[in-house]
Amino acid sequence: MSEPAGTGSTAARNMDLLVGYVLIVGVLSSLGLLAAGLVWHWYSTGTRLDYDLAGTTVFGLVVTDFRQLAAGAWRPRLLVNLGLVVLLLTPYARVLASMLYFALVERNRKYTAFTTFVLLTLTYSLFLR
Amino acid sequence: MSFPLLLLVSLIAGLVGAMTGMGGGVVLIPALTFFGMDIKRAIAISIVSVIATSSGSASAYVRDHITNLKVGMFLEMFTILGALAGAGITVSASEQPLYLLFGIVLLASWAALWAERGTPWKPVTHQDDLSRWLELEGSYDDRATGEHVEYRATRAYAGGPLMFGAGMVAGLLGIGAGALKVVIHDLVMGLPPKVSTTTSNLIIGVTALAGTSVYLATGLIDPGLAAPVILGVAAGAFLGTRVLVRLTNETVRRVFLGVLIVLAAEMIVRGFRR
Repeated sequence: MSEPAGTGSTAARNMDLLVGYVLIVGVLSSLGLLAAGLVWHWYSTGTRLDYDLAGTTVFGLVVTDFRQLAAGAWRPRLLVNLGLVVLLLTPYARVLASMLYFALVERNRKYTAFTTFVLLTLTYSLFLR
Repeated sequence: MSFPLLLLVSLIAGLVGAMTGMGGGVVLIPALTFFGMDIKRAIAISIVSVIATSSGSASAYVRDHITNLKVGMFLEMFTILGALAGAGITVSASEQPLYLLFGIVLLASWAALWAERGTPWKPVTHQDDLSRWLELEGSYDDRATGEHVEYRATRAYAGGPLMFGAGMVAGLLGIGAGALKVVIHDLVMGLPPKVSTTTSNLIIGVTALAGTSVYLATGLIDPGLAAPVILGVAAGAFLGTRVLVRLTNETVRRVFLGVLIVLAAEMIVRGFRR
């Protein structure tokens, strides 16, 4: 017998908490990074931050950001880019977490398939250019 | 647009959006275009900020066990495809029809707010086979009345395809399209109002991400503009949910019905101007 469906079961309640915390941690860290980047830029130059990201994919942006992080190339732009990347990856991480939860904890095949579909579509869209 | 103005406009948009429950984009986009931003850029920036506001509020509702994750995950399959299609259309569309369409959506939200149904929720008595197979049911504790509410959703076969349309409007116009999603949840699938608004919130985040990736790829998202807008809208939404408790609902409604009709008229006029 599998877990009873719906929002009442223990498994469903745990999943609620998991999804809820993924979302709030993601959004708050993104806002923190964006604010830090903007304030730093404003403080050091007194001008508006102005650059574009034409022709990058989200994953391309992630890779560039981590390369700069690894090189220790801290600057306002890096913080703002990281803030954007964290924001975009927040719903993505939420779907990933729920897929793993449906697959491993609830062992619900139907919903594992649904969330996998959502995850694959999002993955495809993150590689769009 | 100067940096402080951008921040202020976004803050007000987030505040108004949260207080009326329409979301920030509906006010943000007309305001940004009013100050001279190109409508496609405004749409692209707005949809990124939608991820922040919807995920922030979705988090609280999910942890309170009101959101129905299964309903959300099922319907997301349709909205993300809609959003990809919608954003794709906007990228290649000309500006005039976008202004017109936006004006029409504003008028529709105006009508929806104005009519604001007072009909109480009726539980679904008959659940069709597909909805039962999809396990679309749940329960939550209503804090206001202290009741434990059990419910089932129905007509998933219609709800899914309709959500493709809602996702498309979201991707096309850079808004959450929450009002549209709530109507589908309430009227078609028979979800209780609290579950339908909170579940719509959850879906909006993922839908906005699908749209955002299209806009990002085309270079329409300028981080120097997007960052202050995201911060402003998020701060406004945070304040809005707190002010909402203190102001009487009727005053809020009157003020914003006025604001909406002005914005709608402005967008439609711009749609016809060459």
